[in-house]
Amino acid sequence: MSFRKSTAILASVVGGTLVVIVLFLTLYAWPAIRLNGIRFLGQNSWNLGSLYGNPITVRGQQILPGAHYGILFLIVGTLLSTAIALAIAVPVGVGAAMFLAEGVPSPLRPWMSFFVELLAAIPSVVYGLWGYVVVIPFLGHHLFPAMVRWLGFIPFLGGPAGSGYGLLTAGLVLTLMIVPLVTTTLRDALVSPQASSLREAAMALGASRFETLRAVLLPSVRRVLIGGSILATGRALGETMAVLMVSGNALNYLPGNIYTPISTMASFIVSQLDSALEDPTGMAVRSLAEVALVLCLISVVVNSFARFLLYYDASRA
Amino acid sequence: MLPIRKSASALMRRSLVAGGILALALGAGMPFGSRALQAQSAVDILETGSSLLYPLFNLWVPAYAKSAPRVKITTQSTGSGTGIAQSVAGIAQIGASDAYLSDAMMKKHPTMLNIPLAISMQMVNYNVPGLNQRHLKLSGPVLAGIYQGKITKWNDPAIAAMNPGVKLPDHTIIPVHRSDGSGDTFIFTQYLAFSTPDWANSLSFGTTVSWPAVSGELGAVGNPGMVTALQDNPYSVAYIGTSYQHAIEKSHMGIAMLKNRAGNFVLANARTGAAAAAVMVPKTPKDQRVSLIFAPGRESYPIINYEYALVNSHQPATQTATALRKLFTWAIDPRGGNAPSFMRQVNFVPLPAPVAKLSAAQIAEIQ
Repeated sequence: MSFRKSTAILASVVGGTLVVIVLFLTLYAWPAIRLNGIRFLGQNSWNLGSLYGNPITVRGQQILPGAHYGILFLIVGTLLSTAIALAIAVPVGVGAAMFLAEGVPSPLRPWMSFFVELLAAIPSVVYGLWGYVVVIPFLGHHLFPAMVRWLGFIPFLGGPAGSGYGLLTAGLVLTLMIVPLVTTTLRDALVSPQASSLREAAMALGASRFETLRAVLLPSVRRVLIGGSILATGRALGETMAVLMVSGNALNYLPGNIYTPISTMASFIVSQLDSALEDPTGMAVRSLAEVALVLCLISVVVNSFARFLLYYDASRA
Repeated sequence: MLPIRKSASALMRRSLVAGGILALALGAGMPFGSRALQAQSAVDILETGSSLLYPLFNLWVPAYAKSAPRVKITTQSTGSGTGIAQSVAGIAQIGASDAYLSDAMMKKHPTMLNIPLAISMQMVNYNVPGLNQRHLKLSGPVLAGIYQGKITKWNDPAIAAMNPGVKLPDHTIIPVHRSDGSGDTFIFTQYLAFSTPDWANSLSFGTTVSWPAVSGELGAVGNPGMVTALQDNPYSVAYIGTSYQHAIEKSHMGIAMLKNRAGNFVLANARTGAAAAAVMVPKTPKDQRVSLIFAPGRESYPIINYEYALVNSHQPATQTATALRKLFTWAIDPRGGNAPSFMRQVNFVPLPAPVAKLSAAQIAEIQ
């Protein structure tokens, strides 16, 4: 077989897997989609029904009495925790990348970069454990009460400070996980040969180091920043273990402020799978598959939006 | 697109390198792992599920290993929901559960057996600074009110009426519940459902229920997670199995006296547990799927339950079936696993003789 043919097969296996997974999820979740309808996205009611009752038939589907599925709280929890993580991680990541590319003395540079990249290689459950053992007691007993006292006048920052498990904690742990993604992609672009020639040209025109960075280099890596942020968003949306351990696993309510417990779609699938398997009608597992499908859909929308931004940016340039 | 792809792949490469270093560091532990593999024995039994039964299994396994060295038993504390799911799926040979399988589940998996191995109890614990040694009195309807968000303060008139002379704080109650599928949730919600019609009609009982949204409420995983959540959150209340009573006493958390069907407030101990068991034992059917919650009787503790081993009666290998029969026969023996020396350590009640007889009949069905 020719090289072209064999690589074509390999490539189509990779692409085909995605199609097959989405297809399977859709087929498997189909009874749940028919049962739950559009209310699935707009209501806060994940209820397996009476696990010890006898199944009844609703809209042609066997379900447990009282079963009702609505995941608005999961969608809100997922999007809000990701938004908090991005809002902190992008500025911090840009700053760190600038420092690594420009500010660090050159003998130290490889080491500093290595440590930032090592941060990206740490399994997420390690962040989760650290968050659980170290961060939550600190946040719950010290930082959050202080924030309520001093920043309580700002909407969503006031009110009960909670226990440390919640939206902001999940956002902060996600931040730590995605900062290295933003930092390394951006740093690589800032030290690339193209950036070096731009830097030399700007310097030759008499621009100071800061002017070069602000007016020439950063605009030139804008596309990379968008790309890096999308990688980061993808990771934050789908992060499971770390969020599971620090989010407080809220069920069926929306956060009242940023200290409130939340659940995200990915972590919810893990935490609820065993309970769902106890549903003899199987509808609970099918509804979890529908959650997975919605998560896929949100990721696709985010990615498409990024493609659009890049396309828009390229056509304007 | 080019710069992104390039930098993304560079990032990937670097992460791989960094990951490799981590893997190398972890690899240093390898020789121990391979030695353990060589010592693998003839029959492997995986027990998973109830975190309430886990401490007892952990005591049993080393003791039993002396008489059956060729049977290797692995125990996991994962929650009854996992025990149910993985035993019916055939992943685990023993699913440990505080809850029996529902009628609908039995219809779907007719070869499953629900074998009681011991009787456990559940405490309601609280963390109210200054009152943790007082054994506050609580009832099913009051707990239902707390978990429904109808009773939100510790000094609520309903709680105060039960605890005359106790200075209750004007502080918001943090109800803690299990977020994993849990037999503890099953027996706790049964206590609420059997004592509070309002709860029975709305939330009923199960290993997972749709907890009403209560401001400040927390979800925790496993009994150990409940203990931690209770310790970390002053003014919280939680339901925890008696096998964790030592952990509760060591961390100076409160143990509530619960109102039983006769209207008396009782603590979980060997006497109140045995009193409730004595009333409920005659009501145990042949397949032993029965709730022991909210037993009548002056001294009866209201939340006791059979600790079940969920086992498939059709085992794929006779070797496994034989090993399981032997293990369970030893476990329910009053001179074996049900000996007072084991039961005392986890505050369980041994199986009364008539129940042990029913269990033995079910054990014989494992083939």
